[in-house]
Amino acid sequence: MNTPLLEVNDLRKVFVDRDFETPVLKGVNFTLQRSEMVAMLGPSGSGKSTLLSILGTLMRPTAGSFRMLGRELTSLKEAELSDFRNQQIGFIFQYHHLLPDFSALENVMFPHAGRLWRETQAGRERAAMLLERVGLSERMHYRATRLSGGQKQRVAIARALMNQPALVLADEPTGNLDRENADQAFALMTEIQRETGTTFLLSTHDRELAERCERRIYIQGGVVVDVPSAARVPLRVVPGDMVAVIDRTQTQATRDQRSIQANERSV
Amino acid sequence: MRFDLKVALRYLLANRLQSALLIGGVAVAVTVFTFNAALINGLAEFQIDRVVGSSSHVTIEPAKLLPKVVPAPAGTERLVATQRALERREQIKQWRSVERVIETLPGVTGVSYNINGTGLVTRGQQTLPVSLKGVEPARLAAIAPIDRNLVAGEARLGLNDVLIGRKLADDLGIRIGQPIFVTSNQGRERTLTVRGLYSTGVDSLDARVAYVNIDTARVMFDLPEGLTEIEIKLADIYAARAVAKQLADTTGLEVTAWMDKNQRLREALEGQGSSGNIIKMFTLITIVVGVASALLLTTFRRRPEIGIMRSFGISQRFVLSVFMLQGALIGILGSLVGCFLGWGFSSLLVQAGRSSGRALPVDPSLGQYDVALLLAAAASIAAALWPARAASRIDPVEAISQ
Ligand SMILES: Nc1ncnc2c1ncn2[C@@H]1O[C@H](COP(=O)(O)OP(=O)(O)O)[C@@H](O)[C@H]1O
Ligand SMILES: [Mg+2]
Repeated sequence: MNTPLLEVNDLRKVFVDRDFETPVLKGVNFTLQRSEMVAMLGPSGSGKSTLLSILGTLMRPTAGSFRMLGRELTSLKEAELSDFRNQQIGFIFQYHHLLPDFSALENVMFPHAGRLWRETQAGRERAAMLLERVGLSERMHYRATRLSGGQKQRVAIARALMNQPALVLADEPTGNLDRENADQAFALMTEIQRETGTTFLLSTHDRELAERCERRIYIQGGVVVDVPSAARVPLRVVPGDMVAVIDRTQTQATRDQRSIQANERSV
Repeated sequence: MRFDLKVALRYLLANRLQSALLIGGVAVAVTVFTFNAALINGLAEFQIDRVVGSSSHVTIEPAKLLPKVVPAPAGTERLVATQRALERREQIKQWRSVERVIETLPGVTGVSYNINGTGLVTRGQQTLPVSLKGVEPARLAAIAPIDRNLVAGEARLGLNDVLIGRKLADDLGIRIGQPIFVTSNQGRERTLTVRGLYSTGVDSLDARVAYVNIDTARVMFDLPEGLTEIEIKLADIYAARAVAKQLADTTGLEVTAWMDKNQRLREALEGQGSSGNIIKMFTLITIVVGVASALLLTTFRRRPEIGIMRSFGISQRFVLSVFMLQGALIGILGSLVGCFLGWGFSSLLVQAGRSSGRALPVDPSLGQYDVALLLAAAASIAAALWPARAASRIDPVEAISQ
């Protein structure tokens, strides 16, 4: 039997600020299989981060539901969600968000030690192994602040994998890196994904990197357009890609417009 | 080591200056607390010592003769006006049996069997009221250390001798070896020779009391058998109330402990005690405000980090514990340092006082260090509660996107 890893069903999110409502997700549907590497594309402000936060159980949807590993997550309590997150989900953010007062090794171990309220030998060994895998075994005991940008992001990748999660959610993981470091980090994620069979869902602006993924999904106008890998649709002709329409105030619309123009230039 | 403790320690060490200031702040507050305790308690001890050192700890007097009244019927009150029967002399007749009871009491360091009364001393044109205290010569110093406080003459109490305070002697213009003429309130007159002058430092003793032989007093106050008073000194002055109760229950006499006899002292001590408590309360408030505001700043600065912990499924309880532990560590370290400083400071003052010849009433051993430690640690932990709860409730999405 091959149940999908993640089934998203008519997910909606409306941000409410006083009487002001911003609908961001307007009925998102898609499915992630096990061991997939999926890129999520969409203009800035289209709701990629919002969707990743909801799938990562950091934020509750306004409506709709999603099942992960066969479990309905929208109905769980905060403590249960926290526990689920700890065991099944790893995060990589645009900014590395390492704890500055801890070493690389301690940062990687943190999700494990924090769950058990103590450090274990097994946890230390796994963290060391992961750091070796991301090419930082020599920097293991460096303070996080003493590492370069690319090294920090590689520590963050190792940390996301610490508790052997079923799903890694990466929100523009290379967005803060230069070309070389971005390529390196991306290659690392792809390799690890293949080796471990962990499912990766990563949002990115970088079309070149996105094309290296098996599958891409597009988020625009608050819904997801799923493009299966078999379709091999050339990126440039995906309709509406340049004209994301979001119902927002005038100022927000101009801001979105600007970022869309920026996207066009980068294409 | 527990991982929450490790994180708490790391956070404290990451911000050495702030942690040092916080611990220093708690330490100063605890120094004030303990020094204040050493001073107030030392002062109280000093005052008690001055009063209790030359007076009795438990005093037995004749039972008050109250008329028997039929109890009022249930649900009603009955007012009864009485007048003390003045024609009957109040005295302790069965004092031999009381003596046997006292002999069985533990912790008694001195007993004096007295016949007291009032009288007038006349010398030339001068007439002054005095309290005559008839004591057994062998037990003269059992209560007030008259022998040690003698400034002139000798502590001898023959049948015609009297010992008076220096102040009374000055008032009468009298010297050692001179006679005084005493009239008791029973109308008996006697000429006594001044054998010694004492100065206890307690005004009521030095200006108003004259010690005579108990057998002289028997005659002057017409009490061939009974006593008017039994005074007891105890090793532990704070056992006085318990001893008084026990004696009252077994003898049926009127027994009073020193703290119930010296209302003014008690009021003074209570006043000092409560002003001391106000100071202590302020030191605790200082700790709470200081620790809470500093930790609140820390939680604010570390919002993104806490957000990241929460996004990795570290429980709210863990985050709470990390910040509570920071409060506890600051409180415990700060109060240990503060206790040490408070003890050192009061010891230094005592030493300085001793070498300058003016002893200060500070007692370093009465600094209430255990109480200070407990309260300061509790205050710090309580102060950490609010920031810790705020930290544990941080919304990870909001904190990370900052
Ligand atoms: N907490 C919030 N309150 C109100 N609006 C929000 C909030 N978070 C995000 N948004 C809005 O939702 C939209 C989608 O944001 P986001 O998910 O960050 O987009 P992306 O990651 O694709 O750039 C944006 O227009 C943003 O302004
Ligand atoms: Mg985003």
